[in-house]
Amino acid sequence: MEEKQLNEKESLELIAQMIRNTQRKMEKNSGLPFLIWGYTTIAVSLAVWYLLSTTGNYQWNWLWLTIPVIGFPIMMFTFKKNEVYPKTYIDKVISYVWIVFGLSAFIVSAGTFIFHRFPILFTVILLISMGTAITGLIIKFKPLVFSGFLGMFLSFLCLMLNPLNSILVFAGLFLIVQVIPGHILNYKSRKSHV
Amino acid sequence: MFKELDPLLHSELRLAIMSLLISVEEADFVYLKDQTKSTSGNLSVQIDKLNDAGYIEVERGFAGKRTRTVCKITPVGVKAFEAYVESLRSYLNL
Repeated sequence: MEEKQLNEKESLELIAQMIRNTQRKMEKNSGLPFLIWGYTTIAVSLAVWYLLSTTGNYQWNWLWLTIPVIGFPIMMFTFKKNEVYPKTYIDKVISYVWIVFGLSAFIVSAGTFIFHRFPILFTVILLISMGTAITGLIIKFKPLVFSGFLGMFLSFLCLMLNPLNSILVFAGLFLIVQVIPGHILNYKSRKSHV
Repeated sequence: MFKELDPLLHSELRLAIMSLLISVEEADFVYLKDQTKSTSGNLSVQIDKLNDAGYIEVERGFAGKRTRTVCKITPVGVKAFEAYVESLRSYLNL
């Protein structure tokens, strides 16, 4: 492309063509954040469940704090290294959605150290399911919408079961809400790049 | 009475850059080069012109060991682009 003068019609055509070009395909590995948080949460949940059920020592609940300690550095490392351009408004909206839901989940988790009877697992999975469903609706990706709504319904299981079993359900729900749709998203995004 | 077309935007490469940036939040130099199929030198000159006019913001940083230039349209740029499209519409009786 040169620095040439255009007539009015050519200008409009060029604008339309460039705007069309920005309607990009789904980014490769779009599901990675879901997989990072999903697998980290499942691994920590299973570890907490195992240690609580074998020792009965509730101090093991402090292990929940390792979720952000493991998740954030992996996210930073993965996305600083592979930062993708252009960034669209949709990318920005999705990141805002997850800042709000992620921060809410963190705040209520911190709150349980003060209010011990707070139904934390139910609240966190409800928040994460909402974030997943909203993300799915924004990017028009049905598996995310479906798993998000399913997670919202099934989150009540965490209220019905005893604390130990609800940890296992919590891990299972992260599989449904984060890991499975994350893999589907990755598969679809890879396919759209072939 | 026809509105005068903004000379800064009425050039193929600068208009292409602005059209790309109006539809995304931010884009890097490599993306703009790919999409506009321009040479690095020419693209760089036009980016500087748009930056000097305040139509875009340019941030130069690093991605690993490589430099990365990221461009973003400013509110002034959005206004200028809208005015330019409005002028085109009046020229073409749209």
